[in-house]
Amino acid sequence: MEGEKIWVCEDSQEGIFTGIYDAWASGYKKEECVIQVGEIGNYRLFAQYFSVKTEEEKAWKVAKTILRRMGERAYRHICSAISSTDQEKGNAVFHTLILGFAMEDASKAMTYLSNPYVGKVFTLSRQVYNEVHHFMEFLRFRQLEIGILFAKIHPKNDILTHITPHFADRLPMEDFIIYDSVREKMAIHPKQKRWSIVQDKNFQIEKTKEESKDEEQIQELFRSFCKTIAVKERENKELQRQMLPLKFRDNMPEFEESKWISHYEEKSY
Amino acid sequence: MEYKVQEKMSIADKLRILGDGAKYDVACTSSGVSRQGDGIHMGNTVSGGLCHSFSADGRCISLLKILFTNECIYNCKYCFNRSSNDIPRTSFTPEEVCYLTMEFYKRNYIEGLFLSSGILYNPNYTMELIYETVYKLRKEYGFFGYIHLKAIPGADARIIERAGLLADRMSINLELPTSEGLRNLAPNKSRQTILKPMRMIQQGIKENKNEIMIYRHAPKFVPAGQSTQIIIGATPETDFQLVSVAESLYKKFELKRVFYSAFVNVNKDKDLPSTLGGPPLLREHRLYQADWLMRFYHFRAEELLSPKKPYFNMLLDPKCDWAVRHLDLFPIEINKADYEVLLRIPGVGVKSAMRICQARKMAPLSFEDLKKIGVVLKRALYFITCSGKMMYPTKIEEDYIIRNLLHEKERLPERKENYRQLSLFDEEKKEAIG
Ligand code: SF4
Repeated sequence: MEGEKIWVCEDSQEGIFTGIYDAWASGYKKEECVIQVGEIGNYRLFAQYFSVKTEEEKAWKVAKTILRRMGERAYRHICSAISSTDQEKGNAVFHTLILGFAMEDASKAMTYLSNPYVGKVFTLSRQVYNEVHHFMEFLRFRQLEIGILFAKIHPKNDILTHITPHFADRLPMEDFIIYDSVREKMAIHPKQKRWSIVQDKNFQIEKTKEESKDEEQIQELFRSFCKTIAVKERENKELQRQMLPLKFRDNMPEFEESKWISHYEEKSY
Repeated sequence: MEYKVQEKMSIADKLRILGDGAKYDVACTSSGVSRQGDGIHMGNTVSGGLCHSFSADGRCISLLKILFTNECIYNCKYCFNRSSNDIPRTSFTPEEVCYLTMEFYKRNYIEGLFLSSGILYNPNYTMELIYETVYKLRKEYGFFGYIHLKAIPGADARIIERAGLLADRMSINLELPTSEGLRNLAPNKSRQTILKPMRMIQQGIKENKNEIMIYRHAPKFVPAGQSTQIIIGATPETDFQLVSVAESLYKKFELKRVFYSAFVNVNKDKDLPSTLGGPPLLREHRLYQADWLMRFYHFRAEELLSPKKPYFNMLLDPKCDWAVRHLDLFPIEINKADYEVLLRIPGVGVKSAMRICQARKMAPLSFEDLKKIGVVLKRALYFITCSGKMMYPTKIEEDYIIRNLLHEKERLPERKENYRQLSLFDEEKKEAIG
């Protein structure tokens, strides 16, 4: 039968990789195969739909093949692209793989930027990477009364698995949690143990209200440091806004109002 | 003048005074070394550096940048902490510095510590205090994040060496571009006391590299290299003199970075130029752009400026300025030109040039592809062809191109060196954001 074959899979790396596995194994002409993420959306006439059941083993096989044939760099690009919110991502990855596996040296596939699928994967991966980078910089932990470091983020893309390794490497002896309030899931890192991702739709953020006894003072110290360090003669709030967009600021203590009045400032320094 | 540590001053007040005293030092990057965590200690470093916040002047806050003390015996005219100023004086204790660093780092406020200092009693005493502080921070508090230390001019080589084994980067400020300037404005310092430790650190880095080749686990000496800072606008040098000084520092001392700090007359000193109209920010920006061109785009100082043309064009960035003065070399064919040649095209950044070289092996590139790659076409279009064709029919004529380039406004946010270093030119901004 002619026409598009559409594999509809779950919006996750495992879901998409399983879809790719199934499409590949189906024996249909690869050019006619489409990987669609999430809901079916608009039914297309003459298209045939397959609903994909996520299977860890299939996903694992695809991941291993990408790593072996295309190398770690390309694999990272692909994983980043998959964390994007873009709905075309699954298909872009699939067709990038088709192209790569047909090449003598598959590790060069990601440099083929004039190919629309590769171009798409590259662009998505770069967008995700930029967001990851931003949160590596602008994420803030607060220390809760029970000693845990807690950070809340609201990223556009699904980046928890990309940022957590950075903090786990940096803070091996700390218990910390990074909570993605958009997707209602969190990365949990118990000290000296491996981290994991937990989905928790019923998580009560109020439970994180109680802070350690030094927390307020330390936030205050940093707030005052950020204020002091600015050179008055060069003030440029517009530039500050360009470099640190407002959307990041709501979890950053340096942009909160100060709760203290320093006796030093009172002395009109 | 008498130095008395105000015993009862709170850590908050100390931080305010000693942060204030350090703010004119511009070298607040955390880049140059990549070190993974070891599973026990707190911290790692990221080679490109991270900016954790931005202050109201738009500059990056990456490190806890503080003075150890502002009780300084010297009287450098340009400095707020000079001994003749009547200002509150204080010093941290090593423990206080460690506490602030650890607590800030843990919360992801900073990448590490930048510790500078006024000269308390004498250079050796001060350098010892700095050493003691980082020793505590590394060994007792187990801090593995980034540390940038100032080497105190005039301090003993042996203390500097010990400190260098604990720091990631060290710097000694050249302060002023000429020894004459230094004599007039910083009478207690001399070119000699500044260049000597600079040379010593350079040699330390070299010897350490050899050691590490032999003993893989030999402790690293200043692995992120050394940098320096030059104040611009306090003395009357031309831009050409400044970039030449920078170029020779890179060559002779193998510095990682030369930072420029636009002079602010904080003391309203009558012997120094007034900066009431604001510090010379655009000039500083042009100097940083030139610095970038010399370090990553293979430009030499005398290609950018000369004794006959000693100042930068304030309207055009130095790369465009160079290009319109060399129109005979253009247009350049994107699908053929060597990497070094691509780098000279306005609108093409380092990453784009690399991507072009890779991507064109697969298929000839079109203007559409260049856009995806991150080339700023509105600037590049006057200087390139794709498979023999220009993007639009345009004249290759100096006046015409300049008029059009000026029409496409350069983003000029005054201050750029401390941002994510990618944004020094529009082309690099675009590469990063896509
Ligand atoms: S040595 Fe000079 S520049 Fe350094 S703190 Fe003292 S007065 Fe300021």
